[in-house]
Amino acid sequence: MEQNGRIDHSIISLEHVSKRFESAGRVKEVVNDVSLEVKENEFVVLFGPGQCGKTTMINLIAGLEPASGGTVTVDGKKVEGPGADRGVVYQTTALFPFCTVMGNVEFGPKSRGIDKKTRRERAQYFINLVGLEGFEKSYPNQLSGGMRQRVGIARAYCNDPKVMLMDEPFGHLDAQTRYMMEEELEKIWQKEKRTVVFVTNNIEEAIYLADRIILLTNCPTSIKEEYIVDLPRPRSYVDPEFLKLRKTILDNTEETL
Amino acid sequence: MKKHFVGEKAEKTVYAILAIATFFLAWAFITTFTAAGETTPGPVEVLKLLVDSFFEPIGRFTLYGHLYYSIRRVLVGYVVAAVLGIIVGIAMGTSRYAEAIIKPIFELIRPIPPIAWIPLVILWFGVGELPKYAIIFIGSFTNVTLNAYTGAQRVDPTLIGCAKMLGTSDRDIFLRVVLPSSLPQIFAGMQVALSTAWMAVLAAEMIGAQEGCGWIILRGSDTTNIPLVLVGMVVIGVVGLLLATIMRMAERRLCSWNRMDV
Repeated sequence: MEQNGRIDHSIISLEHVSKRFESAGRVKEVVNDVSLEVKENEFVVLFGPGQCGKTTMINLIAGLEPASGGTVTVDGKKVEGPGADRGVVYQTTALFPFCTVMGNVEFGPKSRGIDKKTRRERAQYFINLVGLEGFEKSYPNQLSGGMRQRVGIARAYCNDPKVMLMDEPFGHLDAQTRYMMEEELEKIWQKEKRTVVFVTNNIEEAIYLADRIILLTNCPTSIKEEYIVDLPRPRSYVDPEFLKLRKTILDNTEETL
Repeated sequence: MKKHFVGEKAEKTVYAILAIATFFLAWAFITTFTAAGETTPGPVEVLKLLVDSFFEPIGRFTLYGHLYYSIRRVLVGYVVAAVLGIIVGIAMGTSRYAEAIIKPIFELIRPIPPIAWIPLVILWFGVGELPKYAIIFIGSFTNVTLNAYTGAQRVDPTLIGCAKMLGTSDRDIFLRVVLPSSLPQIFAGMQVALSTAWMAVLAAEMIGAQEGCGWIILRGSDTTNIPLVLVGMVVIGVVGLLLATIMRMAERRLCSWNRMDV
């Protein structure tokens, strides 16, 4: 894609983005001059210590919060607010409690006026893909944490966004379910390639999933280092290369104060 | 997860029947064996008059006619109050300006009992059916509005953000997120409002009525026919209970997602 006279293959681009929150006269700097390019179909993990501003970065790309400085561009358009070209998977799942699994998954297409037959078929495809066949009529409060997050992923995918933004989607799950969901997510992503920006503070999760890991500093966050993960997929948590990378990254990670 | 067994439900029904039976026995006992019986009729007398009034007219109608008029008045006033109350309440809950403008007026008008509005309502609407609807409306509007307001205020902002990210228009966010999110709270308000609407039937039928359950009480009071007063009271109580039950069933259906034991 030719843009502003330069070659640009990235689908998400952050240019000198910063974010300050002001409350009661006090200014809190959260994101400090971050520039980042994400290529199409790339799986990028934002990895950093807790409370460092990772979620804020997701919100900036989503357009749920305006940037205080710099610009965020997605697919050539400047981000100025929420939009259906970016799908979000939330840590809290944020499912609509009054909608069934089907109702949640088809929520986006229904909002965009897609006819019932088409959107039902599409929703069913993604419900099956995340392994929830047979639960179409269940309400979120009838599902386990892992199943709820599957609905969250299916809902985001079903709306066919250009990019997926995942904010610690497995943060609330127990260790066992978490491993399972990481494997599931990788399978889904292999099948339904999409640009993903994934936030986590779990190093195994980061290495297991990422094409590229962006290591962030403490708050106010900026990019400390980048790691390309070119291990073959599916990866093994006990592969020596995996463990070596794990040590390298952890040694470089700032401790949460 | 809580589980409801059929046995538990049957048990509850048995207790309910026992409680009501005890109430009637106590009533019968007090009116038979104490001085209260000289002024107050016992349950047998009242129930007999109640059954009779289904066949023998009180004033212009039998009890069926009175029930018809009262229920019609309550439903008309109540439905208008519910629809307007939900709209105003949600507007208050979602818009800072609507809240700032409407809420103070509301808090001011809220404590005024429906009965106090009678003179004004007669001046505005005369003595036909309209002022009666108006009194019922006044009696139920505040409860619906305040609950819808609370419900809309408590909508999880993440859900609204999420709907926006999915490309949902503001109108759809209102209809498909804010409204259903507030529904349990709205129902709680509608439940209370139905009771207060039905309570206001007496005040409503003080306005030139010739029929209705409230009117039966007024008629009994005017003619010192205490059994008739009690018939009116029992009818209002029973109908109120039935209306509340119907509301609860509707809520169960519409808010099934809000319960764990579906």
